[in-house]
Amino acid sequence: MPTPLEHGSTAVRTLPARVMALLALGSLAALHGTAARAEWDLAAAAGLSYDNNLTRAQDGVDKRAAGAVNANVTAARFIPFSGSDSVLFALDGRAEAFSRYSGLSNLVVGGSASYRHKFGLGAEAPWMSMSLRVSYDDYREDLRTSTRLHARAEAGQRFGAQFDASAGVYYERRYDNHGESIVPGVSGHVFDLAGQGVDVRAGYAATNEWYLDAKAGVRRGDVESTSQRSLPIFLASSAITDDPVWGDPNLYAYRLRGTTYTGALTASYAVNDQSSLDISYEYGLTRAAQGLEYITNAVFVTFTHRY
Amino acid sequence: MKPTHVLCTLCLLVAMAAPVADAQNADITVTVADERGKPVADAVVVAVPADGPARAGTKPRDEIVDQVDKEFLPKVQVVLVGTPVTFPNRDAVRHQVYSFSPAKRFELPLYSGVPQAVVFDKPGVVVLGCNIHDWMIGYVYVSESPYFAKTNAEGKALLSDLPPRDYVVRVWHPQLAAGEETTRKTVEASRAHRADVAFTVALKPEVKIRRAPAAGQRGSY
Repeated sequence: MPTPLEHGSTAVRTLPARVMALLALGSLAALHGTAARAEWDLAAAAGLSYDNNLTRAQDGVDKRAAGAVNANVTAARFIPFSGSDSVLFALDGRAEAFSRYSGLSNLVVGGSASYRHKFGLGAEAPWMSMSLRVSYDDYREDLRTSTRLHARAEAGQRFGAQFDASAGVYYERRYDNHGESIVPGVSGHVFDLAGQGVDVRAGYAATNEWYLDAKAGVRRGDVESTSQRSLPIFLASSAITDDPVWGDPNLYAYRLRGTTYTGALTASYAVNDQSSLDISYEYGLTRAAQGLEYITNAVFVTFTHRY
Repeated sequence: MKPTHVLCTLCLLVAMAAPVADAQNADITVTVADERGKPVADAVVVAVPADGPARAGTKPRDEIVDQVDKEFLPKVQVVLVGTPVTFPNRDAVRHQVYSFSPAKRFELPLYSGVPQAVVFDKPGVVVLGCNIHDWMIGYVYVSESPYFAKTNAEGKALLSDLPPRDYVVRVWHPQLAAGEETTRKTVEASRAHRADVAFTVALKPEVKIRRAPAAGQRGSY
């Protein structure tokens, strides 16, 4: 069994080449968007984030916190079939670099398709949508590298110019086969996860510039937690492996079955019709078997510009 | 007298008569400001004769409301009742223009280019929307009187060529806090001098449906 350091050193790959690839992809998308501006909407975003419990750990001694910078580009094609029905195809690329735990730095390329139906005419007509997103998340430390699938159904309505609300259900799957088994008979694929959830969201435009958004959700399914060895987490887990990202040989990654309650608040400032600056706070509480639970707090600051 | 001389004489008489006819009419200059004294642009100013109906026989001109960069242009259009208005789509994406307003309910199914004109046959305010781009909002003010104008960026509008008489002048704006009728003022328009009238109106804050990128959705395991 390799030590975390050895594991990390063999698995770590250089990011610059991947960043260049992402930039090239973004440039191509931008060029295509310029050539066919009518059909493609381009957006770019850059931001900062801070998470106080990246390890998803219960005990303070196991918690690791860090900040990250990120940038992403999205090219989306919107096709209305009628006034009521439309589809949206989107391609996106994202790069994220962490300040302390470089193994968490990642590049993501993804694509999505969504269908939307509006039940009537006007801004206040209720709507529903179904979407499917697939992405490949390439982490600098391979343990978390995986392919993700997210299927979602959502319905919502606007109430005047200032209020809107929506609710959704989703199923998500993360396919991973990088983790090595370290306990005979127990899988090492900790990041091979599945789950489903529901969420509700409400938005309020306080002014033409400020938009406030609140979201709450519940998710049931597999979660990951990194901690030192303990009997409760061992009994509750369905997969265990080394987690070399943290540089601590005493930390192991576990896959658990749990329920996660989330809440998020966002204040978004519209700089103009094409740009916004968002500040978000997200809270998460996950409960698993054996009395295990962990709490996460994260903040995000993101600037988004749509071309 | 030769026919050419008759024709020249007639032309001369017409040319002389035209300025005389103009000189017999009056102008009203209107200034609209909000409660802080700031000029109000895009305010509709309408003058209705105080003692009877407006001049009959005014033929409405065809008007347009463009869609440019996913916005209505102009945002406020004033037309005489009975005016056909076309809604050319100058964007490369399709629009679906509609209105639920009692003065004119209509829907132009998803289209590109220039659709068939819509005739605005009842006075009132018609609020426009696009079913594809919810933030798009525009207004067609349908006037029962041919004497109307729209204020410029300085909050000024000129009602010109009015037959001399008393007029009831009123103001409408999309953000007007009180009803349009509360702004009524009687103004005497005479050929001796240009009448100036100033309005101070209270405006509601305008909150539009957001067009800027919405707060991003995040989520992970």
